[in-house]
Amino acid sequence: MDPTQPFATAIAVQGDRIVGVGDREDFLDFPQTEVDERFGNKILLPGFVEAHSHVMSGALWEFPYVGFYERSDPTGRVWSGCQDVDSVLQRLIQCDQEMVDPDQTLVAWGLDPIFLQGERLVAKHLDQVSTKRPIFVFHASGHLATVNSEMMRQSGIDQHTPTPGVAKDDSGVPNGELQEPAAMSLASDGLATIFIAMMSSEAKWSYALEARNCGVTTAADLGTTRLAMEGQLEAWRQATDDPQYPIRVVVAFGNFGSDGTPANIRDMAEKAVHLREHEESAKLRFGIVKIVLDGSIQGFTARISHPHYLDPPPGHPGNGLWLIPPEQMPDIVSAYHQAGLTVHCHCNGDEAAQVFIDAVDAALQTHPREDHRHTVQHCQLTTEQQYKKMSELGMNANIFANHIFYWGDQHATITVGSPRAEKMDGCATAEREGVKFSIHSDAPITPMGQLHTIWCAVNRLTASGNILGPEERIGVHKALQACTIDAAHQLLMDNEIGSLENGKLADFTVLESDPYEVEPEELKNIQVWGTVVGGVPFQAGSQ
Amino acid sequence: MGHSSGRRSLSSGITVTKLVDLYDSPMEVTVIGGYLGAGKTTLVNHLLSQATEVIAVLINDFGEINIDDKLVDSADENTITLTNGCICCSLADGYSKALDDVAKRNPRPTRLVIEASGVADPAAVAAYGHAPGMALNAVAVVADSVNLIQQLADPLVGQTVRSQLAAADVILLNKTDLAPETETVRTELDRFNSDALLVECVHSRIDLDLLFGSEVSKVPKASEAVGEYESRCHRSNQPIPRDALVELIERLPEQVQRAKGIVRVAEEPQIPMVFQLVGRRWELRALADRKNAPEGNQLVVIGPKGTVPLDWDRTLKVED
Ligand SMILES: [Zn+2]
Repeated sequence: MDPTQPFATAIAVQGDRIVGVGDREDFLDFPQTEVDERFGNKILLPGFVEAHSHVMSGALWEFPYVGFYERSDPTGRVWSGCQDVDSVLQRLIQCDQEMVDPDQTLVAWGLDPIFLQGERLVAKHLDQVSTKRPIFVFHASGHLATVNSEMMRQSGIDQHTPTPGVAKDDSGVPNGELQEPAAMSLASDGLATIFIAMMSSEAKWSYALEARNCGVTTAADLGTTRLAMEGQLEAWRQATDDPQYPIRVVVAFGNFGSDGTPANIRDMAEKAVHLREHEESAKLRFGIVKIVLDGSIQGFTARISHPHYLDPPPGHPGNGLWLIPPEQMPDIVSAYHQAGLTVHCHCNGDEAAQVFIDAVDAALQTHPREDHRHTVQHCQLTTEQQYKKMSELGMNANIFANHIFYWGDQHATITVGSPRAEKMDGCATAEREGVKFSIHSDAPITPMGQLHTIWCAVNRLTASGNILGPEERIGVHKALQACTIDAAHQLLMDNEIGSLENGKLADFTVLESDPYEVEPEELKNIQVWGTVVGGVPFQAGSQ
Repeated sequence: MGHSSGRRSLSSGITVTKLVDLYDSPMEVTVIGGYLGAGKTTLVNHLLSQATEVIAVLINDFGEINIDDKLVDSADENTITLTNGCICCSLADGYSKALDDVAKRNPRPTRLVIEASGVADPAAVAAYGHAPGMALNAVAVVADSVNLIQQLADPLVGQTVRSQLAAADVILLNKTDLAPETETVRTELDRFNSDALLVECVHSRIDLDLLFGSEVSKVPKASEAVGEYESRCHRSNQPIPRDALVELIERLPEQVQRAKGIVRVAEEPQIPMVFQLVGRRWELRALADRKNAPEGNQLVVIGPKGTVPLDWDRTLKVED
């Protein structure tokens, strides 16, 4: 990613830094040089940077996986997909037998009923696994759970439960499916088990192992951790100080629990500045503030401009939700901006993006500041005009390229319709308008995997195999830049990582084949050997 | 109630308390919604200062729940947000922790008031009011009578404000002292929520009986009128046929906009049912907590002074 030296055959490393990039002969006269040939037949890239993910991404692997697709867990164990209700039950029966405590709740995750043949999985099926132990199966969508009769009994769920989302059969008896969080929260033991796992210190490790397995050397936990709360910083420090911890983490400061008043935001900004100035270490970085402005497009909660949604569910109010009153945004952005922080704002819809861009514009007019790198996160419907303005203001973008594969078909037919869907996650438009951008997985919303995300941006193939908006495809080199140097730029780390240059950290992604050589459709199938972080190799799939 | 300034956050307690195991009767939940600046916090303060019972207040800012530390001492926080997948997951998580905190309070609160954020849909928050051990009392939405018309027409927030008001059982048309007239606003409100109980007020001051509904035990036997409103109650033992109940409700004087109670319906006498009337909307649904429900029937109706006839429940008396 160093334009003056795009390719090389050897790299010299001293300590955790790169001391030279060139050919083997260039370094042989370096004093006390040791030649390391272990990656002789592999491809070294600047370490991949996942600039938008969440630490709980790997935590669900603490529980058995019952999803449709085959997946590997952070330790490298391959879990075969459950192709029908029977194989889901078989896996659960096996887990039930392995559990020592007969009263302990069995939690599983990843169920995706649309893919399963035959009857929908309900409580009576789960009762075949156990009628004594509560069972809670969390769906892949994160919006639903299916529980057994014992879980309903213990949670007081019956035909009289008035909570919306408790699905009932024709005779009015709950069938075990709990839709949306209010209903899921009735089965509080199941949901709490998942939440506790997500915030545990093991989760920080599974997140890092998962990142390592897909070649990521730096990941941003974008506003998941409550840094202002006691113990959270220490937990991150403990993990990242361990020499075996395989990634660098940028922990964004979430704008949480704030009432939006200027004094309150200034107080929060002060905390965030303190972290950046006094608490950074080799593998733990700060300086980013995360704000969430709207919802999601597939959930019909993103704020999108006229004509809004194509085919929303019955009772939908017409447009999405604000998570912050738009009129508070100028004050919020301005306070963090004046404190010298970089604001990353979640804007799935274009209406949300406009409110954020306007707030940055206003902040810059009263307090001009060079190189602020304020970033629109997700950018799914960001328009050409908006990219023009972002370029003018010096803003960055982080585009949710994975959506094209995972929800592209639904966007074309249900959420926004083909014409708009073809322009969604428009990397080529961002490139044309000169906006520096990254691309991301938002793990656990979609699985982490930079090669898959690159494949999405380059091919724009949907799950059904259609090319959605061919004009928005970008080249392999641009996609690699987006996952390395330009991702590092928006995380304020481009002076240290993102390219292979003398003086930068020795962070590499080690691949079995060259992304510049393979067919574009094959990008996602490139094997990842692992990574090197600060000169230390970490092999994918190892413990 | 302990006092200190500002808000604090939730405990990260791992145990999940089941309110149903702790309380003798369901804890009533009132959700307060309304757009930024309408007067929600003023309303919460009013409720806290006027209430004769212990109220726990949950504050739901930015899609998550904080707990008012006037009522809760615990300090750490460990809630999470799954923002892109779902904005209400944090609510689900925070909620169980908040309830855990509420249950640990001494004296134990008997009523929960949830102040939704200025952009939240109060209906989504209200969905949490049906957990075992709880009974949803009402969704109250505060509206700024000076700025409401303008807010409704705003291209960015108009729909947010409209959805909030549409979800209301009670609308507090607030700041009427600053509005030249309220007729235009009332007409506008009528277009998308003609059923809610509409109360005009200043500084969010609403009669607590009107918002919460009186407790049968607190209504004086002689049914004397106190303040602007009067409450009358009915107590009986025999299950009431559903038709008789419906008839009673339909015959209530128009001015009676609030009634509540727990009744046994003749068709299913073993199930205690919660009865609620707010504005022109009423519902009858099973009480989640059956173990501890009071015996027989207890109903209270509330109306402006002089509007509730002494024999308002005569159709029920015949049955008893
Ligand atoms: Zn995210």
